[in-house]
Amino acid sequence: MIKINHLRKEYANITPLKDVNVHIHKGDVISIIGPSGTGKSTLIRCINMLETPTSGSIFVGNECITDKKCNINKIRQKMGMVFQSFNLFNHMNIIENIMAAPMDLLGKSKQDAYDEGMELLRTVGLADKAFNYPDELSGGQKQRVAIARALAMEPEIILLDEPTSALDPTMVGEVQAVIKDLAKKGLTLMIVTHEMHFAREIANRVFYMDEGGVYEDGTPEEIFDNPKREKTIRFIKHLKVFENLITSKDFDFIGFNTSLEEFGRRNQVPQKTIYRAQSVFEELGVQCILPKLDKEFRLNVAFEYSQEEETLSMSMKYDGEHFDVRETPNIISFAIAENASKSIEYAEIQEDGFTNLVTVKIK
Amino acid sequence: MTIEKNLNGTELTVAIVGRLDTATAPDMEEVLKESFEGITKLILDFEGLEYLSSAGLRVILQAQKIMNKQGEMIIKNVNKTINEIFEVTGFVDILTIE
Ligand SMILES: Nc1ncnc2c1ncn2[C@@H]1O[C@H](COP(=O)(O)OP(=O)(O)OP(=O)(O)O)[C@@H](O)[C@H]1O
Ligand SMILES: [Mg+2]
Repeated sequence: MIKINHLRKEYANITPLKDVNVHIHKGDVISIIGPSGTGKSTLIRCINMLETPTSGSIFVGNECITDKKCNINKIRQKMGMVFQSFNLFNHMNIIENIMAAPMDLLGKSKQDAYDEGMELLRTVGLADKAFNYPDELSGGQKQRVAIARALAMEPEIILLDEPTSALDPTMVGEVQAVIKDLAKKGLTLMIVTHEMHFAREIANRVFYMDEGGVYEDGTPEEIFDNPKREKTIRFIKHLKVFENLITSKDFDFIGFNTSLEEFGRRNQVPQKTIYRAQSVFEELGVQCILPKLDKEFRLNVAFEYSQEEETLSMSMKYDGEHFDVRETPNIISFAIAENASKSIEYAEIQEDGFTNLVTVKIK
Repeated sequence: MTIEKNLNGTELTVAIVGRLDTATAPDMEEVLKESFEGITKLILDFEGLEYLSSAGLRVILQAQKIMNKQGEMIIKNVNKTINEIFEVTGFVDILTIE
C-alpha cells in the first residue's frame, strides 16, 4: 500500500532521514517509536508530503507521490492526519468542522456531510457536542473530534503524530480507546507515540527509529521482548528501567521525582503507585539511608515496572558499612514506607563496590 | 507547592496545594513561623495536598506543639491517602483531624 524506497530528508544542518526503506501493507497498524529527534515526525510528514523529500521515492498504491506530476491533493484525501495539537477551526462548531472538508473536497451535499458527520461523532462518543464550539471541549474531546474529522474524508490511511501527548493524563485513555477502535476496523494506521504500553497493544508492527532510518522493524513482541540490534536493546531496557546513581547529599531531589513521574507515565503506571514509589524513595532512601552513608558514597536507585503483573519494584544499592534499613531508628519514615510497600527486603552483597541491597515491591 | 494564607481575626487558615515533602517542607515551616503570633486557631486545609512525607509531618508536628500553647489547631479536608499516613505514623492520636 505504501512503499518507501531510499527516502532521504536533509535540512540545512541536519539529516534526520538518511535512507528509509519500508513497505506498509493494507491494514497494517504501525507504532513508530524511538528517541527524540530521530525523524519520526519527519517521516510522517514526508508520507503525506507536508515535507518534500530530498531524494528517494514514496508510492501510495500505484502512484508515486514524490513524482512532481503527481496530484498530491488527491493522494492527501486518502490520508487522514492527526497531530499533537488538534487544529480545529475555532470559529466553526464541531459538526461544521467535520463537514467542511467532505463538502469542499469530496463534493458531498450538505445533508450527506451532516448525516455522516453525526454518525462519526457517535462513533467517537461526542454526538451531544455537535453544536458546541471547540473551546467548549476538553483536550481529549477535541482530539476525538480531530479523529472524526480525519475519518470524514474516508481515508485509507491515517497518520497520527503523538495524538495524546498534549493531553492531560486523565484524558489519554478516552483518545487511545477511539484509536484502538479504528485499528480494529481494518484502517491502515501509522502512529508516532511515546506511550509504550499503547504502542505495543495496538500495533501489529513496530518501527524503532534511530540513525536516520527505521533501525529495527518487527512485531511488538520482537521489538519489546526480543530486540535484536544494539540501540533498540538499549532503548527498550531504558524504557523499562529507571535508574539513578546518587553520589551527593545535595542531589537533585525534585529532578529525581520528576524523572520518576515521566518514567511512570511512559509505562502507564497508575499515579497512585508513583506517589507510593516516591514515598518509599523519600522515606527509606533520603530519610533513613542517606544520613547513614559516608561522606563519599554511591547510592544506586532503580525502578522496574512489569506490565503483566502490574507491579513496580525498586532496588537501592549502597556502599559503606552494613546497614539493614529495616532496623532504622527512624520509625516514622519506616512506617510510611512500609505502608506504601508489599514487601521490603534487605541483603548484604558484594557487587561493583556495593555492599547493601534493599529491594521493595511497591503496593 | 503553593501556600495560601487567610487571616480572620485570630483565626488563620493555611491551605497547602501540591506536595509537602523534603524539598518543600522548609518553605511551609518558614511561612508558619512568620504567622503564629497572636493566632488562637490554626486551620490547615489539605484539600489540595497531593503528597505528604515525613518531612512534612515534622513541620505539622511543630505547629501542633506551638498551637497547644496558644490555642488549637485543626486539620481539614484530608484525603484517603494522606489520612493513611496519619494513621500508620500514629499522628491521628496527636492531631485534630476534621
Ligand atoms: N523544518 C525543519 N528545519 C530544520 N530542522 C528540522 C525541521 N524539522 C525537524 N528538524 C530537525 O530534524 C530532526 C528530526 O526531527 P523530528 O521532528 O522528525 O523528530 P522526532 O523523532 O519526531 O522527535 P520527537 O520525538 O521529539 O517528536 C530534529 O533534529 C529536528 O530538529
Ligand atoms: Mg515528533
